[in-house]
Amino acid sequence: MTGPIDITWKEEYFLIVMASKVVLIRGKGVLTGGGDIDQKKLLSMYNRGIQILMDNQNPKDSLRLIFKNSDRLGIKINTIAGRKLSSRPEVSYSLASLLQDGGIQPKNIIIWDRTNRELREAGYRLNLNRGGIKVIGTDTKGFGYDSQLTSYLNIGSLFSSIQSNKITASISLAILKDHGMAGVTAGMKNYFGAVHNPNKYHDFNCNPFVAELFETKFIKQKHKLSILDSLIVQYHRGPSYHARWAEKYEALIFSLDPVAADYVGWQVIEKLRAKKGLASLKEEKRAPVYLKTAEKMGLGKASPEEIKIIEEDV
Amino acid sequence: MKRRQFFKTAGGATFLASAGLMNQTSTFPAFLMDLYALGEEANLSKVEARYYKKHPDREIECTLCPRFCKLGDKERGYCGVRENIGGTYYTLVYGKACSIALDPIEKKPLFHYLPKSSALSIATAGCNVNCKFCQNWEISQVRPEQIQNYDFPPGAVVKTAKKYRCAVIAYTYTEPVVFYEYMYDTSLEARKKGVRTAVITGGHINPEPMEDLTKVVDAIKIDLKAFSQDFYTKYVRGELQPVLDAIKIVHKSSAWLELVYLVIPNLNDSSDEIRKMCQWIVKEIGPDVPVHFSKFVPMYLVKNLPPTPVSTLEKVHKIALEEGIRYVYIGNVPGHSAESTYCPNCKKIVIERRGYSIGKIALKGGKCKYCDNPIPGIWI
Ligand code: SF4
Repeated sequence: MTGPIDITWKEEYFLIVMASKVVLIRGKGVLTGGGDIDQKKLLSMYNRGIQILMDNQNPKDSLRLIFKNSDRLGIKINTIAGRKLSSRPEVSYSLASLLQDGGIQPKNIIIWDRTNRELREAGYRLNLNRGGIKVIGTDTKGFGYDSQLTSYLNIGSLFSSIQSNKITASISLAILKDHGMAGVTAGMKNYFGAVHNPNKYHDFNCNPFVAELFETKFIKQKHKLSILDSLIVQYHRGPSYHARWAEKYEALIFSLDPVAADYVGWQVIEKLRAKKGLASLKEEKRAPVYLKTAEKMGLGKASPEEIKIIEEDV
Repeated sequence: MKRRQFFKTAGGATFLASAGLMNQTSTFPAFLMDLYALGEEANLSKVEARYYKKHPDREIECTLCPRFCKLGDKERGYCGVRENIGGTYYTLVYGKACSIALDPIEKKPLFHYLPKSSALSIATAGCNVNCKFCQNWEISQVRPEQIQNYDFPPGAVVKTAKKYRCAVIAYTYTEPVVFYEYMYDTSLEARKKGVRTAVITGGHINPEPMEDLTKVVDAIKIDLKAFSQDFYTKYVRGELQPVLDAIKIVHKSSAWLELVYLVIPNLNDSSDEIRKMCQWIVKEIGPDVPVHFSKFVPMYLVKNLPPTPVSTLEKVHKIALEEGIRYVYIGNVPGHSAESTYCPNCKKIVIERRGYSIGKIALKGGKCKYCDNPIPGIWI
């Protein structure tokens, strides 16, 4: 595509054409024998995923369909479970470099999570570099949580000022995991890390809290893309890391529809559970019912007949 | 530590939560000076929690409160102040106070418990429910690392209470159940030194820890937030029955008990609900437990309702008296006649109150000075 993009057309494109496409890219060998990442393969997984998601545009143009060059972009990662089950630095940096290629200025990219301690424990080097990509926790001096409560339906929270103030667009780069209470934690629930009181939202399988939090203005208006890091999938006993139930799945899942992305993530977990002879999440009474709530709220699709899954190996 | 940090607000909350004794005692400035001398901003504690079960795969189940949080490694409970680290459960707030103040005991409110005495009041971050009308949400609904905490171990708490002649140490402002270990050990220490202790709680706790607690503390005030599970589900995010059970446990123990009911317009102020609650109180714990009906002011997530009209408070006060409760108070309405204690026999004022100030006390040996009727309470 050449020339400036018509905004009205762009929005329509989001809502109608692309809404429920989910792209699952598998990269066999992306995790090397020693547990390192084959960087080249990872980049090609990203490139292919974005290309297919945006209808085979070249990756640069594809990204321009999603973000404006002037956007200040937050990449919300998940580092709660330590080094073995967090968004790896290689995965976040590869995405950031792709975004730079797509025209986002490095100084406008923030890779972030709730605390510096968790980021460090997941292998990140904190970086407040004014001119380049930043890697910071909400507890970094000068950031912190808002002083004003955001109150919406069952939600009452102080938002990370990164999500509320510092960015204009957001990517949820989440780890795909089983979750003892939510059933599944993926792109939508990743935003629990954007508020000061996530522990208050775990009742009733996190329903309706995941959906309602997503619908708050700081998330709904800014979230543009879900990417589920499924290189290792914890399909049982999550969200903590347990080697016994962690599958080397070597995939990335992409979608503009946050609900559909998580729905597909859920199906991946169910397939792995079935393969290992485990009861389904439904049988364990912890199916991620918040996805249906989210669908009812119009946040995306959680019905298989309305989701188009495209799988490809690179 | 800079002095101004003691007045620092935690998300808008006054860190030094109360200066209630300022008009009553000249010790207050000295108390502040002592606070300045407390340690540097504290890290979180790592003290093993009590009341939890270990499960396979480094999972734990907390049995302290009715939530029974089941958590994997690195996860925190609903209260936000307890963490599973490698399969062992830890309290992160042991000896880590976020609020320290001198208060009159009447502010708790405890009206039949050592009137006119001062209480060294402490709190840590955290709460095991999430009341939509919380007055202290800036410290109760946060994780400890999101506010300032100060090293204030049990021994130091008791020493400070002695130094400032506080008859009581009160665990208050947030929910003491979530800092149970700190509260328990401080109470043991206080007993050794002749200082009494009071727990200001929502009573959302399991029977075993509550029974154990009643053996080491001297007074417990429980907030009964409504008399319907529906209200507890919608506005408290907790369970009513465990609170009622906790009330009965305290009543059976040697600890002094008082109840508070925050009356919220349209939400928990129906005559029917109040009457049923009063009937339950009289039947289960008797007519002598003091009951305080407090005025609500819009707060936190309930800002769309007006403050409770005084007429509503007077209505519920009347219902409670009709149902046979003998000591019924109206709270948060300074100067109201129902702040004072009346002898149920001769109807004369035996303790006169105006706000937190005490006027005359007409008690002699725990009895009404005018008619010799016993007035239940801990008076000395
Ligand atoms: S005390 Fe805290 S961790 Fe324990 S059950 Fe209650 S809310 Fe959960």
